[in-house]
Amino acid sequence: MSKKTGVFFCRCGGIITDKVNEEAVLAEAKKIGDNVVTLSHNLLCSAEGKAWLAEQIKKNRIDNVVVAACSPKQHEKTFMEVLENTGLNPHMLQMANIREQCVWMTTEPEEATKKAIAYVRAATRRVQKHEPLEKRELTVNPDILIVGAGMAGIEAAQTSSRAGRKVYLVEKEPCIGGLVARFEEVYPSMECAPCMVATTLQEIIQDNNIDLFTYSEVKDVKGYLGNFEITILKKAKSVDETACLGCGECYPVCPVSTSNKYDDGLSERKAIYVPFNGALPNIPVIDRSICLRFNGQDCNKCEEACPLDAIDFSQEDKEVTVNVGGIILSTGAELYDPSLVKGLNYGKIPDIYTSMHFERMISGNGPTGGEIVLKNGQKPRSVALIHCVGSRKPEYNDYCSGICCMYNLKFARSIKEREPQTKIYNFYTDLCLPGKESQKFADESLLNTMLVHFNGDVEATETPEGIKLSYMTKDGGNQELTVDMVVLAPAIVPPQGTKEVGDLFGIELDERGFFKEDHNLMNPFSSSVEGIQLAGMIQGPKGVEESVAQAAASSGRLLSRLVPGRVLEVESKTTTIDEDSCGGCKICIGLCPYSAISFDIEKMISTVNEILCKGCGTCAAACPSGAAKAKHFTRDQIRAEIKEVTI
Amino acid sequence: MSQFEPKIVAFLCNFCSYEGADRAGSAKLQVPSNVKAIRVMCSGRVEPEMVFEALTAGADGVLILGCHPGDCHFKEGNYKTMRRYNLLKQLVEEFGIEPERVRLDWVSASEATKFAEVTKEMTEKVRSLGPLNFNSGTC
Repeated sequence: MSKKTGVFFCRCGGIITDKVNEEAVLAEAKKIGDNVVTLSHNLLCSAEGKAWLAEQIKKNRIDNVVVAACSPKQHEKTFMEVLENTGLNPHMLQMANIREQCVWMTTEPEEATKKAIAYVRAATRRVQKHEPLEKRELTVNPDILIVGAGMAGIEAAQTSSRAGRKVYLVEKEPCIGGLVARFEEVYPSMECAPCMVATTLQEIIQDNNIDLFTYSEVKDVKGYLGNFEITILKKAKSVDETACLGCGECYPVCPVSTSNKYDDGLSERKAIYVPFNGALPNIPVIDRSICLRFNGQDCNKCEEACPLDAIDFSQEDKEVTVNVGGIILSTGAELYDPSLVKGLNYGKIPDIYTSMHFERMISGNGPTGGEIVLKNGQKPRSVALIHCVGSRKPEYNDYCSGICCMYNLKFARSIKEREPQTKIYNFYTDLCLPGKESQKFADESLLNTMLVHFNGDVEATETPEGIKLSYMTKDGGNQELTVDMVVLAPAIVPPQGTKEVGDLFGIELDERGFFKEDHNLMNPFSSSVEGIQLAGMIQGPKGVEESVAQAAASSGRLLSRLVPGRVLEVESKTTTIDEDSCGGCKICIGLCPYSAISFDIEKMISTVNEILCKGCGTCAAACPSGAAKAKHFTRDQIRAEIKEVTI
Repeated sequence: MSQFEPKIVAFLCNFCSYEGADRAGSAKLQVPSNVKAIRVMCSGRVEPEMVFEALTAGADGVLILGCHPGDCHFKEGNYKTMRRYNLLKQLVEEFGIEPERVRLDWVSASEATKFAEVTKEMTEKVRSLGPLNFNSGTC
């Protein structure tokens, strides 16, 4: 018995029939075959219309449905639901867009009628080739992996943990809290940064829902939204975390030391160390690259000093596999290397510092105990804070990092507080002060300081009087100024290794090397891969406030998709590859924007992971053997339309 | 003699161009009824064979409209279309068909006016070229 097609013509309250001859359209549709039933209604999308449609589908035993009405963008979902309620597969529907793309764009009724006939007949032919598509559901793992335990990572971890999810928080450093944990104060409140974060960091450490992996890295990622399998490499700390109480007896006795990167090279640390005073978790690690014991010598001074037998030289790197449903990447950012900026002579002139150096210098737990001092031990009489270093210039970085003006203003306050006699110069190109609190903060910070509006280029030379800065003002005049100390605000850039992390997780980078967001406005916190969210500076430079907001948003996105006990509905209109006709040419593999196609080496054919597939059909268009089939947009279905619209 | 009314098939991607066409309608912009749309999920779904099928079936011209480069809902489907299109144009010419009968362009969801313009231009262009009659062996 042939399938019965119902062509339902909606008058759209007279909008459509004002121009289109209903009888003519339905008569032409009927000509397609005896199995076509035509019916009309005044307004199908109304509650009464939908009930009528359902009733007619059942009464006439319709198998597939054409709704000739508005755009499918408007009401396809509405009518799919009606079909589903009648027991039909919702994909047995085709809409003929005779309102937006016919009546509304055509002046002459005769032309509109002809076009409507073509569209309705095309839809009728097409729907007869429709196949029911399965509603596909996926059981999901509700747990979450977070990579990077800076401000964004810890916010994401807490939000997820509060929802009762198991969180695996992976941090490559021995301590958590990111850059902010190393600051003294944060703008605009000038609140004490360690005080602001310490409680939260302790909560993270003590949270039973959070498994914290410090000194660890993600080694392998498999799977997709709802079902990821992650391998974490836990590097040997050589310290038993369960035994160590963080008494600090071990590091003074250690005989070797190296430059401490956590103080940006302004101090030294031992082979066994905590990154800085107050770092959490307060558990040291042994840097095996310099530890004598691991370099062929018989030293066990730390072991002897430890009152709790927590030193464990035999510890080995360990791989741990965890299963999660979603991932949040919050791997942070770093400063652009100012030695790459011409004329600054950074690295050659001793008293030119980066902003991160300066953060540590003004920090009470930093290398100078919070005192602003020159390399010769004296206090600077003048400090120049240089904005936009390697920023807003295409030869370096073409963007504004957005937070440097604010932290330079913070620095101005910190200097004034500590050294009221010191002259402060802010070399700026434009002041970037968005938000409700910034302008007031700036006005107050700039009191009793000097603003220098320069064109962005400055040359620094060392003279007996200090550091001579030669620059051009915005109005074109050449100027010079000699100061004792220079602090640079370099562009904020993705951390080294971001490309590798991107490859590991299979996500895209943007042209500036940050992780690319799914959509810069509508979805700025999802990566290019579903189930992998972004939070904080790795998506682009931003301050604490925005990082935390983005982290909460990213967690929310995962929490709302990965609900325990609830299945995830995934796209039905995917592409499949027919095993028998696939010739194994692999053309499709390189075309897929979602890396959803892989090659089955045993069967020598391509296979689609239908969970990753989004149904664009780009592979189907290229398949030379016709093995790839784009469901709901098959060749036959599109051909049926082509034939009718070219009559 | 009445003027020649060409038949033009327009493959529209679901997320940009189809939406742009809808908005042309909502704005009551006039679009030549010579152009008849077929919705595909992505311009990347359009097989070169489909273009020939349309020309064989009686179309005098084919439009493929997709999201602007960089804006593809499916990330990069439109780049694949662009690559194919360059080859397709050569093939079309080898068949002795004027390459202008096949046109790829970008129409975003907001470009209702552009949709109206592109369809009008295409209709005028194909009208000036005359009937194709690809299937009747005249070209």
